[in-house]
Amino acid sequence: MDFSEAADRISRKFQKSGQTIDPKKIEGKLRRLIEEFSVQPSEAERSVINELAKEFNIPSMGTGGGSGSGGTGSSGTENKKIADAAPGEWVTIEGKIVALAAPASPAIAQGGIIADESGAIRFVAWAKANAPAMALGAWYRIESAVVDEFKGIASLKIHSGSTIKEIEEDRTLMPTTVPISELHPGIGSIRAKVVQEWDASHERMLQSGLLGDETGTIKFVIWKEPGKESLTPGSVYNIFYSQVDEYNGRLSLNLNTAMIMQEEGDIVVSGGEATVSGAIVHVAPGSGIIKRCPVEGCNRALSRQNYCPVHEIQPKFTYDLRIKGWLDDGEKTHSILLQRDVVESLTGISLDAAKEIAENNPLGMDEVFLQMRDKVLGRYITCHGREIENRVLVNKCERVAFESGKHTALLNRAGGAS
Amino acid sequence: MSTPAREMGRKDASFEREPARRVFASELRECRYQFKDGEDEKSPTFVLLPTGERCNRIFIVGTLTEKQRQGEQNIFYRGRVVDPTGTFFIMAGSYQPEAMQQLAKIETPAFVAVIGKPTLYRKDEASTPMVSVRVESINIVDKDTRDLWVLDTAERTLDRIEAFATGTGPDVLKAKEQYPTIDPVTFRKIAYEALAQIKI
Ligand SMILES: [Zn+2]
Repeated sequence: MDFSEAADRISRKFQKSGQTIDPKKIEGKLRRLIEEFSVQPSEAERSVINELAKEFNIPSMGTGGGSGSGGTGSSGTENKKIADAAPGEWVTIEGKIVALAAPASPAIAQGGIIADESGAIRFVAWAKANAPAMALGAWYRIESAVVDEFKGIASLKIHSGSTIKEIEEDRTLMPTTVPISELHPGIGSIRAKVVQEWDASHERMLQSGLLGDETGTIKFVIWKEPGKESLTPGSVYNIFYSQVDEYNGRLSLNLNTAMIMQEEGDIVVSGGEATVSGAIVHVAPGSGIIKRCPVEGCNRALSRQNYCPVHEIQPKFTYDLRIKGWLDDGEKTHSILLQRDVVESLTGISLDAAKEIAENNPLGMDEVFLQMRDKVLGRYITCHGREIENRVLVNKCERVAFESGKHTALLNRAGGAS
Repeated sequence: MSTPAREMGRKDASFEREPARRVFASELRECRYQFKDGEDEKSPTFVLLPTGERCNRIFIVGTLTEKQRQGEQNIFYRGRVVDPTGTFFIMAGSYQPEAMQQLAKIETPAFVAVIGKPTLYRKDEASTPMVSVRVESINIVDKDTRDLWVLDTAERTLDRIEAFATGTGPDVLKAKEQYPTIDPVTFRKIAYEALAQIKI
């Protein structure tokens, strides 16, 4: 446990009264009280302040002998709104357990998410804390827990000095959602639409894709777990208490902890119309003719064995065309996804012709991939579509034509004063 | 929450792909300086162009004039791709089977587009370094694509020459240090000549 934050706080307090005390010395006193004598952190802080106030003869600093009821009003731990809990603080909060997760290590007794009307935070109860197990959906008052931070994500640590009391009275909690652009690492609630669904990149992944609202988009993932269902592309959801992760400066949502409710209505998702030009420098596997799941509302790409990640074997698949690849202008590479009609017009191969090849050529679907690759790889094209997260969903494209005006302009530029 | 966030991030974080730079054969031929960006074994390797830009990947379009199968155990193909300014030396080995199969199939001469990684190598200690392009993919294209590439490459080359003249970026400074005898303005003449060869 880290005592430096509290030690600094106490040190600053005395500094104001003109007394310089080495925070290391304060830290030592706190550590001794909490670790050796199992004193509650708030109580330890109070008693260290009193001891030092006595030592330096600053009676106003002391908090008196009475140990206030319920811990409120003591200097070390305050009743906090979860949204205001800052790393390094000892806090007392009242909240509802909105998610529980399997402990990641034997050192942890319980982990999950606790929420109040201001927000939500992850919590971890150390096994050593011997804290009573908390129940999903119930309200608790947690006294003297420590707010910790790891890689930008705050969490509440319940240790041996913390106390947990169940709140019996019936309270309601209406989670509030925030715009996607205001999410930050930790726990977040949004109302958003599923704007893209991506092929699973991991066998344990149930679904991944993009969620969007009026302010932006964010990647999401749902890992396979009993009872988890995937989201329907194009639908709007209220998503409460999702885990918000950060990787390489980008946020993403892990929905496994979240409460998800499908909503009526639509959202106009922010995402710029883009036009990008360049050469196709890569045609990715999975391009060409593909099989899709026929289950109503699913439409996922099936594996070679006709396997849908959600609906398993689907022998009555439907065919579709797509090209996934990279368009490169020499400065930047864009990921592009061409939909069926765009593929047909760019390659001159219709879905019917592709089906014919896939069913009759000895190479089957691979032959369609090869023919399409040979028609587009290395060619200059201009794509129009929606660009989201450096991925252009192309709804129209054309070959770049040679412009003699550009040719002349470049000749002038190259031949100019040298 | 049973899956650690880190694992998830690493699995499918969309990493920035190195863009394929546009460079004429006569400029690429002058490269003598190659460096790694980072200590990691997987850090990308770059060849520094005399016009002051690093490239890890290039996109070229030209005429495949020759190709040769080489090696006994480890088969690989070498080829020559000619643009209006000179010759690119390309190779494809078993490390890129798809590229090798594509190159093996193409009958010379043919207009080809090549995406590949430039690398410096020396025949022996005493010889000057040569640049060859390890093919990632190669495909037959038409003359229109070749002409578009000449426009594209001339434009990018002129952009680099202008940035070089006023630039103070690390790659420009490095190029001035590594290629003290090369005046990038020569590449402007080369760009002009390449453009002038396009007949319309
Ligand atoms: Zn399905």
